[in-house]
Amino acid sequence: MFGGLHAPRALPDAGALLAVARSFTPRVEARAPTPVLLDLSGLGRLWPTPQELGRALLDAAAARAIEAQVALAFTRETALVVARACPGLTVVAAGGEAVALAPLPLALLELQAEQQELFARWGLRTIGDLARLPPAALAARLGPEGPRLVHRARGEDAGAFVTAAPLPERFETTLELDWPVEGRDPLAFLLSRVLEPLTTTLAARGAKAAALAVELGLTDATTHARTLRPAAPSGDARTWRTLVLLDLEAHPPRDAIARITLRAEPTPARAAQFSLFDPAQPSSEKLAETLARLHAWTASGRCGSPQLLDTHRPGAFAVQSFAPGPLPRGTPTPALPAARVALRAYRPARLAHVLTKAGVPTFVSAPGLRGAVATAAGPWRVSGDWWDEAFSREEWDVALRQPGAAAAGNGAFRLFLDRMRGEWFVEGELD
Amino acid sequence: MSAATLPATLRWTSFEDEGFSYPERRAEGTGAVLEPEPAAASGAERKRVLEDLLRARRLQADEPPLRGEDRRQRPLATGIAELDAILSGGFPRGELSEIHGPASSGRTGVLLALLAHTTRTGALAALVDPLDRLDPASAAAAGVDLARLLWLRGARHRGCAGRPSGASGSGEEPQAKTLADATAAVATLAGSGLFDVVALDLAGADHERRRLPSTTWLRLQRFVEDTTTALMLVADGHVACSPGGRTLALEPAGLRFSGPPGPACLLTALTARARGGRHGLRTAELALAAV
Repeated sequence: MFGGLHAPRALPDAGALLAVARSFTPRVEARAPTPVLLDLSGLGRLWPTPQELGRALLDAAAARAIEAQVALAFTRETALVVARACPGLTVVAAGGEAVALAPLPLALLELQAEQQELFARWGLRTIGDLARLPPAALAARLGPEGPRLVHRARGEDAGAFVTAAPLPERFETTLELDWPVEGRDPLAFLLSRVLEPLTTTLAARGAKAAALAVELGLTDATTHARTLRPAAPSGDARTWRTLVLLDLEAHPPRDAIARITLRAEPTPARAAQFSLFDPAQPSSEKLAETLARLHAWTASGRCGSPQLLDTHRPGAFAVQSFAPGPLPRGTPTPALPAARVALRAYRPARLAHVLTKAGVPTFVSAPGLRGAVATAAGPWRVSGDWWDEAFSREEWDVALRQPGAAAAGNGAFRLFLDRMRGEWFVEGELD
Repeated sequence: MSAATLPATLRWTSFEDEGFSYPERRAEGTGAVLEPEPAAASGAERKRVLEDLLRARRLQADEPPLRGEDRRQRPLATGIAELDAILSGGFPRGELSEIHGPASSGRTGVLLALLAHTTRTGALAALVDPLDRLDPASAAAAGVDLARLLWLRGARHRGCAGRPSGASGSGEEPQAKTLADATAAVATLAGSGLFDVVALDLAGADHERRRLPSTTWLRLQRFVEDTTTALMLVADGHVACSPGGRTLALEPAGLRFSGPPGPACLLTALTARARGGRHGLRTAELALAAV
């Protein structure tokens, strides 16, 4: 059995009627704010008669200040059309769909404008007039749409019931404080009171919080708003409490706190199936907490994983958020290259004064280093990005004979000549 | 209680007791009767054999540790055979160790080799770099899994007029606050228990490093005690080493080039002499490839 729920007057909230319908059954179809179609299968166990069920629908709508019209029928088309037409509660018995629809105006079928005009010229005024037309003859004039209209007029359904998407659930909680709060300890206690039920609700929905919006109403009538988004979702109240406290330590509110509002952004919780033979993975909550404690480094963007960029520009890299994922299953342990010399980079590169002979550096003087070049290897010319910010340089690896140092203690450095600017720089030391 | 005193319902019986006998096993070809197989091993014996097989398959020195395995007994190897030999397998976990030496002695290359060996098994490593010296390209070339390396970079400071690390006098000195923040970050990382290696690169910050309280290293050592984290210091000279840690002292032994100075000359290797072990009595020659 199906139920049609229609609000003839404008609704204060577009989703109000849908919310009323959802309070009875999740199988609801709504193509517009009104009318709404309900699949009443199974509700006979709660309301033995259609009249009781219809009365319950009207009462639920009235509780939300909605003046509704309810129709119960055994076809979807009949329930929708009768709900639009008849005030109050209407119950259409099985087999009586065509009779119930016959006297109703044709406009209730929600026809296209040209179809309405055509039927008006033909003298059709009611749904019954359309239902009496032969489908085959109407097909010859209107195409396949003709027989569909005749079947609708007779109260017959076409197509399947399409359940509307579920309303998004809000995970939000607010706590009004009896007196303003300052300080970490009382705030920690209050945050626990607020976070425990929030995380419990999330867990009951099989979700975790990917982000948490914290709004603190202050005594000076302002709002201190922060949004925390750790690398991995968490459903642990203690972890979120620690993250919130660390964030407030780094960004303290200007005044005492009078109200706490927390809003969680839900994400499906995914269970991780660990294997006996895979390396143990770090706890995402522990990692998020550790990174939060390093907020002084993360806030300035100086904490994360280095990432090489897809460019030939020397020294190009980015620092991305530290989020090590699990190793893919079956990943063989890669063979490591032989131990290599590494560059200790100077940032920025140090401007140097270099004496050359036949283009080969012979003496280098730069902040922090000075000496004759014992051996020079190079040059290697590197250039690129001509379409953007071009670079062109000539690189040398040099061993500097520094005053007071033994021959074996000659430091090794990387120099480069910026050919665009004609200046020498020390890029770093080879170590 | 011997088997003879057990109630009849509980006594073990064998096929022979029930009147059955195993068929004779004959060798193919000759038809000679083979000796019967030894009796089935006891449960404890079977368990030992299975555990040996499991250990041989998965618990090799360079394989990732299994979940729940006590990794504190497995030192962190650098992957450089000469150094691992003088370090008795590597740097011990739960201890404070150090790598020190002057400029171009191979400290950074050894550190990156250690980080590469650690991250390739899926473990995490952290590098606190107050002077912002790490070159990601060098790290990637050394085999470090950059996604598993947490890098904390010191902020740039103005008026840099320092000298290369290891030179006499002051180097490029970070502000005292930078080093204090760095040691606080090391304490946070070491105490989290998430990282197999936490390294603090102090090379080039000799002057400011001396201004830190002497108890700093003792406090950091306490954070890693009884954990699986190895705390590493990289510096120009000796800083600190816990009683169970290892000191690796590097001394430059010269650079190797592919030929006489000229357009085709390449830097091929950086050589160094390494002293290691608990009392620094073991030595080795180290060569880091440059190409």
